[in-house]
Amino acid sequence: MVTKSSSPCYRPCEHLVDYKSKHSTRGFRALQRCIVVLPPGRPSVRTLSCDEDPVPRCASCAKSHGRLYACLICSTISCYSSSSSHARSHALELPGHELAIDLDRAELFCCICNDQVYDADFDWVVVCAQSGKKHSVVSSGSGNAGGGGDGCGGDSGNGASLLAKHTSFSNGRTSGNAGGGGGDRIDGGKSASSLAKCTSFSNGRTAPPLNVYSRKRNRGAEYKPWEPSSKDPLVLERGAAPLGLRGLTNMGSTCFMNSVLQALLHTPPLRSYFLGHCHNKAACQSKVCLGCDMDDMFAAAFSGDRTPYSPAQFLYRRVKELFSSFSFPSHEKYLFLFSFLNSWWQHAANLAGYEQQDAHDFFISAVEGIHANSQQPELRKGNDAECRCIVHRVFSGLLRSDVTCTACGFTSTKNDPCVDISLDLESTALEKQIYASSSTLLGCLDRFTRPERLGSNERFFCESCQSRQEAVKQMSVRKLPVVLCFHVKRFEHSAKNYRKVDTYVQFPLSLNMACYLSSSIARLRHGNRLIFVEGKGELGGDNDSGSTSPSSEFELFAVVSHSGKLDGGHYVAYLRLGGEWYKCDDAWITRVGESVVRATQAYMLYYVQRSLSDESSTTIPERFNQHQTLVLDEKIGYTSLLADAVQA
Amino acid sequence: MELECRRASLHRPGEDLHKRDEPSLQEAINLKLVESGEKEKLKDLLRERLIECGWKDELKAQCRAFTRKRGRSNVTIDELVRAITPKGRALVPDDVKAELLQRIRTFLLSVQF
Repeated sequence: MVTKSSSPCYRPCEHLVDYKSKHSTRGFRALQRCIVVLPPGRPSVRTLSCDEDPVPRCASCAKSHGRLYACLICSTISCYSSSSSHARSHALELPGHELAIDLDRAELFCCICNDQVYDADFDWVVVCAQSGKKHSVVSSGSGNAGGGGDGCGGDSGNGASLLAKHTSFSNGRTSGNAGGGGGDRIDGGKSASSLAKCTSFSNGRTAPPLNVYSRKRNRGAEYKPWEPSSKDPLVLERGAAPLGLRGLTNMGSTCFMNSVLQALLHTPPLRSYFLGHCHNKAACQSKVCLGCDMDDMFAAAFSGDRTPYSPAQFLYRRVKELFSSFSFPSHEKYLFLFSFLNSWWQHAANLAGYEQQDAHDFFISAVEGIHANSQQPELRKGNDAECRCIVHRVFSGLLRSDVTCTACGFTSTKNDPCVDISLDLESTALEKQIYASSSTLLGCLDRFTRPERLGSNERFFCESCQSRQEAVKQMSVRKLPVVLCFHVKRFEHSAKNYRKVDTYVQFPLSLNMACYLSSSIARLRHGNRLIFVEGKGELGGDNDSGSTSPSSEFELFAVVSHSGKLDGGHYVAYLRLGGEWYKCDDAWITRVGESVVRATQAYMLYYVQRSLSDESSTTIPERFNQHQTLVLDEKIGYTSLLADAVQA
Repeated sequence: MELECRRASLHRPGEDLHKRDEPSLQEAINLKLVESGEKEKLKDLLRERLIECGWKDELKAQCRAFTRKRGRSNVTIDELVRAITPKGRALVPDDVKAELLQRIRTFLLSVQF
């Protein structure tokens, strides 16, 4: 038996060659409609049967068992056995009718050579039928480019009633977002997919792209071999602007949104997730889905098109959701939103003033929105620490709060998930003396993690003392997220104060969070002792404290800065791409020097773990190894630890 | 047996006597199985069982060995089938045979002839 055509020494028999030269792939494609897949995934040929006789029979002897073959040219069914082969007689009688298909197995058979023959195009058709695709694009094995011109209109009348309606996809961009997926991702988010069910009938009409039935069935995206278009090399050539860099138009005080979106668009794990088609728009159950909007935006940003993009859908959805949600932290926010929505609807023009929203609020609500719409199985409601949706996997970390009773030393520990760290800027005169001034990020972090004496009106109930006591509270980072977002609290909206703090904050390009980890903080608290706790894990030593562990090293990749006054300011984002900094001021993108970025008034800072950063100098193999440890996790057993400390 | 008595009614009017010599009972049963769709189900069941018990893998290995011995270009599908079929039949586990027979028996009892 000769091997399949993929082997270099397979040579099709002369009859197959002959057939291919005369009929090319038309016959195969016509067959695709007849191939039915029986469990367990076996392709078979379904024959037109009538009520009296459901079983296919040989045209000559009516035999219905054994091997039956259908002629590719005239569809005559013939039986075959080594003793009497009506299939062979059929082929001998009618030259050109040598090839047939095995009804039971969907295999090509040459009746003269008495053996199975193999052809790449035929196999392609069968595979397509097996995987449930309605339309097959003939593989390039026979020289036809995927989806392109050949054969799409060229189906002639061979078995006209069985003709597979061939679809051309190279220019088959249907209107709207037809289910996403498949095809060319680079192309502006409007890639067609088999879900569009864009069937061209022989008279050239096209069926409506999206029908509910196809959406529900979700056959998956059609495989189309990708060929670079003429635009693609230009996007990748040296000296071209970095991928994904695209301005966002301001639709009326929307710079708060634009700047955060720019940061999100260049957050490496998010970028990989959405560009990797991990959010399947086609399978998306919700009609209003922030994940789908993000997907569209990523596609648009990375399309290679450099004209400014309007994230109108995103804004519209966001505003709508914010407006309809009633969980505003303060009454003022509600007013802000109402007026914002109002102005967005009525005045598309850029309005200064109170319509401006807070970029940090937007970030939080965007994260929540994507979480809420993330495709179901990963959601674990109410427990953000364990949620496996993409935004939580990327941004969610764990902050630890230790409250220590000043009387007995008993410490109560609480771990809270967070998607960012908000840092206070204000400091008292005393603090300025002791701690590094809060004009640096590290200084702010020092303040954040310093032990804070709770006032006498904030006494907590100590379990070991069984009474209310004064306490000392200390924050630390229990678990670092993959992407660390710092929020510098510049805006104060309290009853007495309504202002912006303009203090310049210096920030590093590379950040090591090791000393802010819970393990490090706790160690300091105990005077750097090596404490070993039986059973529940250990504290101290250099093993997992992460002082030089790569997982606590971060690289800056985006800065959102605010300039101007509280009431009428402007947000701008700075992105670090390919070793250069780019200022994203709504629709205008300019390359700027590092000094400009360092001098800016940072409001939000985005750091990514060094191993995932595009900017770090780690080599690729190292990156792959570290990819496994996306978050730094520590095990600390506390109760017996304290017992030791107290006794000491 | 019931079935034997009824044989006469199986023949379609006008069929010549020559056809009686063929195993008409077998034909009849086969026809019934196909008509009711039971044959397909039995086939699927058999396939499933044969995969489960490793018969398919074993046969595949046998085919490979045969092809390798003969040389790839020297084997046609006919020869392969002829060579492997007896081995295949012998290798079917008894419990699979029993199960299939039981199914057929049940079916025949349930069917009106």
